[in-house]
Amino acid sequence: MLKKGLFVLTVALILSSFLFAQTEYMSGIPRNEIIIIENPDGRATDPDNFNIWAPGSPSWSRGLQQISMDALWYIDPDAGIEGDPWLNSLAAEPPIYNDDYTMMTIKLREGIYWSDGVEFTADDVVFTVETLKAHPTMAWGANFEIYVDQAYKTDDYTVVLKLKQPNSRMHATFTVRWSGCYIMPKHIFEKVENPEAYKFNPPVSLGPYVLESYDPNGYWNLWKKRDDWERSTLGKLYGEPGPNYVLYIGLSQERRFLDQMKHELDIVHDLAPEAAISLIQNNPYSVTWFEEFPWAHPDPTLISLLLNHEKYPYNIPEVRWALTLSLNMPEIALASYNGAATISPIAVPPTGNHLKWYFDPLEEWLKEFYIEVDGQKFFPYDDTIPFQVTDLAQKQFGYEVPDDPEKIKESLGYGWWKYSPETAEKLLISQGFTKDNRGRWRLPNGDLWRINIICEAEGRPIATRGAEKVAEQWRRFGIDAQIQGVGTAILWPNYLNPGNFEVAYAWNIETWGGHPDLSFFLRTWHSDFYRESGEVSAGSNYIRYKSDELDKIIEDLIKSDFFDYEESISIGLDFLKLMVRDMPEIPLMSYNVFTICDGYYWTGYPTSEDPYTNPVPNWANSKYMFPKLQPTGRK
Amino acid sequence: MKKNLAAYIVRRLLQFLILVFISTSFIFILPRLSTDTGPVEQAIGRAMSQGQYTDPQAVEHLRKSLEISYGLEGNILQQYFNFWRNFLKGDLGPSFAYFPTPVTDLIFNALPWTIGLLGTTTILSWLIGNWIGGVVGCNRNKKWARSIEVIINGFRPFPHYILALILLIFFSYILPIFPSGGAYPPGTIPELSWGFFVIVIKHAFLPALSLLILGIGGWFQGMRTLVSHIIKEDYVVYAKFAAINKKEIFRNYILRNAMLPQITGLALQLGMLFSGTLIVEIVFNYPGIGFLAYQAILRSDYNLIMGVTIFSIVAVALGTLIVDLLYPLIDPRITYVK
Repeated sequence: MLKKGLFVLTVALILSSFLFAQTEYMSGIPRNEIIIIENPDGRATDPDNFNIWAPGSPSWSRGLQQISMDALWYIDPDAGIEGDPWLNSLAAEPPIYNDDYTMMTIKLREGIYWSDGVEFTADDVVFTVETLKAHPTMAWGANFEIYVDQAYKTDDYTVVLKLKQPNSRMHATFTVRWSGCYIMPKHIFEKVENPEAYKFNPPVSLGPYVLESYDPNGYWNLWKKRDDWERSTLGKLYGEPGPNYVLYIGLSQERRFLDQMKHELDIVHDLAPEAAISLIQNNPYSVTWFEEFPWAHPDPTLISLLLNHEKYPYNIPEVRWALTLSLNMPEIALASYNGAATISPIAVPPTGNHLKWYFDPLEEWLKEFYIEVDGQKFFPYDDTIPFQVTDLAQKQFGYEVPDDPEKIKESLGYGWWKYSPETAEKLLISQGFTKDNRGRWRLPNGDLWRINIICEAEGRPIATRGAEKVAEQWRRFGIDAQIQGVGTAILWPNYLNPGNFEVAYAWNIETWGGHPDLSFFLRTWHSDFYRESGEVSAGSNYIRYKSDELDKIIEDLIKSDFFDYEESISIGLDFLKLMVRDMPEIPLMSYNVFTICDGYYWTGYPTSEDPYTNPVPNWANSKYMFPKLQPTGRK
Repeated sequence: MKKNLAAYIVRRLLQFLILVFISTSFIFILPRLSTDTGPVEQAIGRAMSQGQYTDPQAVEHLRKSLEISYGLEGNILQQYFNFWRNFLKGDLGPSFAYFPTPVTDLIFNALPWTIGLLGTTTILSWLIGNWIGGVVGCNRNKKWARSIEVIINGFRPFPHYILALILLIFFSYILPIFPSGGAYPPGTIPELSWGFFVIVIKHAFLPALSLLILGIGGWFQGMRTLVSHIIKEDYVVYAKFAAINKKEIFRNYILRNAMLPQITGLALQLGMLFSGTLIVEIVFNYPGIGFLAYQAILRSDYNLIMGVTIFSIVAVALGTLIVDLLYPLIDPRITYVK
């Protein structure tokens, strides 16, 4: 009886296998006309909602912000499509301020049309500002409520914003870094009773693509090239986008790897280092930012050891320096990124033009910088560390590494701090710390020194492994250090924003990348916005760092002209020197993203050799890829 | 008898309502007692971590506006009474993470997929697992029965994630017979047609297989153990001596008695459908309610947490209620008399 039953089951299984044998990937669309891109948001829970301005988050990275919406300005974290990271998109030129920064004038580009044939004009910009200002829960709404007194047009292509208080960075709200305030179609939204609840489905596009179809269950969105693509800013300025269709799809980690091996996924957003390196080594068509080790694209985001200044003993500079000098950076780079880390000893990520603006001018200063330990000068900077990393990566993993010192500096950073536990020990002893007979550090009051490092537990193995290596090194140094992994979704709201940590392995410094102005993150570090632990920080000053010198730097920054690069760099250098002297947090490395593109069907991806835009596909400025992407001819 | 039956049904219905009321109240209170930040801070955190420029002064304004929009102003008691008032009207409120989409919309979009996949595999694994378990239990000393037991028990310790991955790699990449995930191919829009149904079955095959393999193991083990004990009972031994047909003994003496706890298990398992299977959804990109529940917890989306949980509570409680009401009909040893 059982044997008969099992036989029937087996036959049914085999027959069904043939019956359901796999067919083509997407019916009706030739593979060489569609580019398939990973949406790192995965599945959209509210897939019908395309209202990017609505409160809540209708999954922006499914092509919505990249190829459908448009903003006034973009700043690319890399070189920019025409060699200038500042890009006028819907605006015809940069913002024009009056002398006291109480008025901002925007000149708009002419001849741009919405996908439904209506012309884009100043009315759309005024309507966007007024609507969002009236609905402060909508994205960017609170910014307009605070700053904008009045928005009006002087002609169809000129908008004036009268501000409630001086603001030299008002344009930052309208400028895309990862995203920015996108412009609403007045002719659609003016008929809508409640703009917060409106789903904007299908979305009317200002970009070169329109929504063709989407998964009601949220996994994919298919976009089709507009017939009138040349009436979008991208088409008008940079030519016809290559792919006729773009599919953004959310996939699991395993499927990303396997699908790209089968050439069914053209751009992987990010992978764990091992998976990425394995994919690069096994797929001859893989295109990466750096052609060789360390491959990954360095985001303008700086992973650091965040030290909460309201928690003893992290308010003591000598302690912070001792913690720094007890770290062995090559080991951390190997543990977190298999060595493929772009390291930074200063408080900006070593990416894009920052090398030219900040790292080159500071190199000599760093070499001459010293701290006093026991009355002796100690020079902590070590420019051999990137070379130590390449040596270790070669020995430990067998990777082929670059041997050109300039290439190593460009891809792995200029240097870091010396590993000097003996100096660290002297610094701690000078502050009354003692070591017990088991070699464990005790605080001046005799208590055992324990450090709990908060880090991301899931989805970001580079953070967990990096933090664990730091804890291991501090334990070796004699501090009872442990890590506490927490979910990505709660790390910022539950721990970093409210200052609910002593030490964290995360980031609070994010720069434009393609612009030297540091106000993007630094503005919120002014003591005016200081919030005690327990209260949510107004910006990214999670470490509760307060200094008169810093306040002065920020005030200078806010008074400066955003477009005066020389002044921006000069103020930025002052900030970086202060951060080195005071070491309020320990900078580690940029957030490297293993974005891997498959060159089987498409060519023209951005790389470090041709860094015209950020390849990381959830960034809105990845739209500049599309005119450069061309079919390889394979079918 | 009829009077007893009516009293029993009323008593069980009351217990059901009290259970739902108390559990729902707990589910309302628990997230609000959590030391984690609430939905407003989550929303602000999301906005700030999206890489968009947010003015520090604007954050304060945003916080106040969101509290009003989310209906979180007022004390917890006022919120509690508001909740019940709306709940009794069938309104679970808007999702905070996907504001202002109603929670019921999100749940009803996800539910059919979970019920389709998990419902089918639960019933199939129950039927197959119990059947094989019963046959193997009756023939436990035979070589072939022991071999089957070894094979099935060999699969049981497999973590679901690993098994799902093995199936995915083997049947989708090494032997590309089945699609690697999703409920239907990109570009296809769900519709009520035979063609779409075939596509859905094809896409559900691997996730269903992973659920079946592990599900069968559980039911098999339970049934085999039960049958091994029942087979030694006097009435079975007597039936054998009385030369009753073997098949009849298996069906009417062994299987029927062993089925009772398995039926309870099935009812509870079906109730659990409403919380979904997160692992299957992740590995196979299969739409369903597990992902929704996971996102709701991560984002402190109180209303969505409550919505998904209430569905689960009601389903499990209802399943238990139905089993309790049916038991006396199935098992003559149980009566409605108190």
